[in-house]
Amino acid sequence: MSEGREILRTEGLWKQYGRITAVADMHLQVFDGEVFSFLGPNGSGKSTTVGMVLGLVRPTHGRALVFGSDMATHPWPALRRIGAVVETPAFYPYLSGYDNLRALAIMLGDIPDTRIDEMLELVGLHERKRDAYKTYSLGMKQRLGIASTLLRDPELIILDEPTNGLDPAGTREVRELIPELARQGRTVFLCSHLLHEVQAVSDRVAIVKKGRMVAQGTVNELLGRGQYLRLRADDNDALAQALAAIPWITSVDRVDGYVRAAAPTAKSAELNMTLAQRGVYLAELAPWEVELESVFLELTGEEMHA
Amino acid sequence: MNMPRLMAVEFYKLRKRMMTWVVGLLLVGLVILLYSVLWNISGRVTFFGDRQNGIRFTGEDLRRALFLQGAVPFSLEIVSTFGTLLAVILAAGAVGSEYAWGTVRLMATASSGRLRLISARLVVVSALIAAGALLAVAVALAYSTVITLTSGGSDFSFLTAGFVKEQFFAYARTLFVMAPYVSLAFAAAVLGRSTLAGVGTGMGVAFLEPVVSNLMRLGGNPWKSIPNWLINANTQVITLQNVVPEPLPRFGPSRREVVSQGLHSPEVAAIILALYIVAFIAVAFVVYRRRDITAGSGG
Repeated sequence: MSEGREILRTEGLWKQYGRITAVADMHLQVFDGEVFSFLGPNGSGKSTTVGMVLGLVRPTHGRALVFGSDMATHPWPALRRIGAVVETPAFYPYLSGYDNLRALAIMLGDIPDTRIDEMLELVGLHERKRDAYKTYSLGMKQRLGIASTLLRDPELIILDEPTNGLDPAGTREVRELIPELARQGRTVFLCSHLLHEVQAVSDRVAIVKKGRMVAQGTVNELLGRGQYLRLRADDNDALAQALAAIPWITSVDRVDGYVRAAAPTAKSAELNMTLAQRGVYLAELAPWEVELESVFLELTGEEMHA
Repeated sequence: MNMPRLMAVEFYKLRKRMMTWVVGLLLVGLVILLYSVLWNISGRVTFFGDRQNGIRFTGEDLRRALFLQGAVPFSLEIVSTFGTLLAVILAAGAVGSEYAWGTVRLMATASSGRLRLISARLVVVSALIAAGALLAVAVALAYSTVITLTSGGSDFSFLTAGFVKEQFFAYARTLFVMAPYVSLAFAAAVLGRSTLAGVGTGMGVAFLEPVVSNLMRLGGNPWKSIPNWLINANTQVITLQNVVPEPLPRFGPSRREVVSQGLHSPEVAAIILALYIVAFIAVAFVVYRRRDITAGSGG
């Protein structure tokens, strides 16, 4: 997708707790209307970064700018345009789902009661709206969290593990809701460890490890889509040698019984012909498809569990 | 986002919270209980003390003290002692629970400023405490009206403008002496990020300070003058300005004890208490404004 107006930027964001570096030199960019996913293992600094982006945590160095506001010094104009659930959803346990949203609506102002009902209907909590929050399941709490972020009709939505605790049907609903939010013109900043879900809904992704960003780009860029080909021949050694001799192929390696060549998929036909001219006949030629999880593992050396 | 809206949401939350009603009912129950016990005693006991050493007061004296004239100062005496402990729980709970539930994040990102948020909370808690004190007074007035009318004491000539004015002053003095403990509990709950920290500190100081003060006074110079600069001694100076009719019980030291301890004048005591209040609130505000709001119960 084309990059729109920049609405969130972090400049060398750094958070130090004594001798522990939680976040180091974080540079993020999020553009209008995109779904941006922020990935990292537990303890990698995701929540601290989100805390600094929301003005909850004071950076040791650097700054977070959202809608042009420095979130450490003057966050309020931006916060009015953000809906966020940070880490686990947190509401008043003695209040019902409706009353929790009502309290939020009083605080935000200019939100009619009908809007509260609409949001509860949207997340499927309408029938339980009068029950105390403390009686809700984790999935229901998550759904109330999402309803609370939408209550103020925000331009930027920050969701931290939004499918945590949801059943498969609820997970699918949230997965469908995220691109829908983007289609409505909202920007979604998503923290998740469910990589296959992130891959399906994200426009751009950042991966962090031990407080440092190790990759940032579009999903296609990170997955190397359109840049690698998967090849197989009766004699893979001869195939690899032949590929290495072609000047416009920048790298060749062997993965799981296949030869992976760094070549644009658009040149597949030309490559097939070149190899045939050199006496190497292919049994298989296809774009190299990788999962985000593989990229993540490669970059962080850690596994994320669903 | 303006303060009235933040105050409205704080009031909405506290109004819907069971703890607020329980604290209020406890105070009302305590007033009713004390009135009932004293009323019952006044009817059953002819005199207090003994005939050889002198009768301190009669049952009739006690009954007359429960009449309308003494309702306000006596109920305020109850409020300033037991009510302070309940107010400490209310104030600490209003702040500490937000950390325990993690709603401190929700509120901080939805409000228009942390200072406004904590100010609104303090104002609403203070207003509820003032309302609770007023409720206790109202219950005492109702109870003593019944006692007055049913005991032939329906002489309302005491009800002068000066008397009414003094009752307002007594009410203001009572709220003022509660304020250092409430603001201390408020600040401790912010610092400790928990209700327990606020309640523990507020009640700890309320209970332990008199004990420690007494030990200091026994210790001679330079220790014995220190308690005069602490909270308890100065709240006693102010509370003593409220005239509770004899022989109703007072829960603090007597005027004679206060004089013997060489305590400050009411004006100086008020200044000292005001400084405590300002200091505690300032600490709460600075910490709440500057500190990171992070995950879970750690806030």
